[in-house]
Amino acid sequence: MDGVGLHKRLEANSGLLIFGILLVSAIGGLVQVLPSIFQDSLVAPTAQTTPYDPSELIGRDIYIREGCGVCHSQQVRPLLAEIKRYGPYSRAGESAYDRPFLWGSKRTGPDLHRIGGRYSDEWHRLHLIDPRSVVPNSIMPAYPWLAERPANRGPDVRRRMRALQALGHPYSEAEIAAAPAALAGLMEIDALIAYLQGLGATLNAGGFDQASRTAPSTREQRPHSADGGDAHFAPEAAG
Amino acid sequence: MPGADLPGAFWTGWIAVLTVGSLIGLGWLVHSVYFAADAPQQDAEGEAEPVWDGNLREGAQPPPLWWFWLLFGSLVVSVLYLMLYPGLGSYAGALQWSQGGRLQESMAEFEAEFGGVRRLVAEASLATLQADLELMASAQRIYDRNCAACHGYDARGQAQRFPNLTDAEWQWGGSPAAIEQSIRQGRQAAMVGWLPVLGEAGVRQLAHYTQQLGRGAAAAHPAKAQYDQFCAACHGAEGDGNPILGAPSLKDDVALYGNSLDAIEASIASGRNGLMPPFGERLDDTQIRLLVALLTQETTG
Repeated sequence: MDGVGLHKRLEANSGLLIFGILLVSAIGGLVQVLPSIFQDSLVAPTAQTTPYDPSELIGRDIYIREGCGVCHSQQVRPLLAEIKRYGPYSRAGESAYDRPFLWGSKRTGPDLHRIGGRYSDEWHRLHLIDPRSVVPNSIMPAYPWLAERPANRGPDVRRRMRALQALGHPYSEAEIAAAPAALAGLMEIDALIAYLQGLGATLNAGGFDQASRTAPSTREQRPHSADGGDAHFAPEAAG
Repeated sequence: MPGADLPGAFWTGWIAVLTVGSLIGLGWLVHSVYFAADAPQQDAEGEAEPVWDGNLREGAQPPPLWWFWLLFGSLVVSVLYLMLYPGLGSYAGALQWSQGGRLQESMAEFEAEFGGVRRLVAEASLATLQADLELMASAQRIYDRNCAACHGYDARGQAQRFPNLTDAEWQWGGSPAAIEQSIRQGRQAAMVGWLPVLGEAGVRQLAHYTQQLGRGAAAAHPAKAQYDQFCAACHGAEGDGNPILGAPSLKDDVALYGNSLDAIEASIASGRNGLMPPFGERLDDTQIRLLVALLTQETTG
């Protein structure tokens, strides 16, 4: 059968046409997305990646709510200039506990994936309440209300942790039970700072140029990829 | 190992079959549509094709030739790309290109171009570096990028939290070695709050005494006993401070958290725990050496 004949048959039979459209538009996903779902190094957490603790979890929600991701990306690309500026490039496994991931693609402000430990908590507090108080030429908006709202004003954090647990995040029952107490007395700004200070900090601590894979994770229930997701970029010379 | 993290055998086959199959299918489609101008003029049910204006019907003319070459050419480019670059599962491509390999290359280029100079800088004497205006301009850029957010672009400190780096007062020591250690390993001050011990009245008295320190007439002050008991261990009997502990001098007029009675009271009541983050892993030896040169220059200059 030639192309025109096939075309006419599809045109005359809408059921067949719908099936054909679905088939053709699925090919890209079948080739690109499906295999990577089963690729351990892309989905397994790196050796140092742990699930967010309750304050980090709430802080992450605030990060999303306030739209931080609109101006700040969270992925250091494997390019010399970015590594020199921000630190080790981002590994896929570092986002294993991010639902959804916050990689972003727009940088009005700097990338934040290696921000953890770069400034003191006190600096973050001053900077979030009034960025101009420490960086005079900053164009970042001020977020003073974060310091006035308690971190646990939203829905119960335990429900959120249970949902993540159902998706495979290794929270223990004890951790979930202790979560509300961990948030007691914290303001939203404290939770956000806890989240920011945890960003990439585990990898930072392992070394600047080469991610250390010796640091044991505190949570080992889930199998980790043997190479921390690093070999995806491994040069041929490494073997 | 080439392609260590590329998909395994099954998924490689999956990707290759679907990709190559799609390319062949598209090639066939483009070819047959172009060369099917004389296709049978009947639809699937065998009915005659509609004809308008005497000779206008589907498939009467092949699409223009440039259209054919455009589609066919893009198929050829796809095939060439898949032969040269990684795309078909674990096949690494004829050029053996990889993202990590490209990164290693650019690191090697960087090392080849700047490595020697950077090592020279890392080992040079501070005076040599300070005499080189271009290097000091580099140092200023490193400072602006890494230090200014806290200490300010003019290095005079900010927000009564982050110390002035241009004066003679160094909380953790002003020698090049001490400054280098502060940069590499960071500093964590640890002054506890004394309100539970001293009570409000005691804090106020002690604040007054601290303010009088270094002005002579403080020997007979009623809070001297408390100072000797609680403060002298770190700040010294005379209030000279101790850079090893990061305890600042209380005698001079330089006070990070403010020199007013209220500010001193607040410091005594709830303590101070200033934190300088470590930069030993964020900056390399060359950058740290340049920063030390810059900062010691500003102290003496």
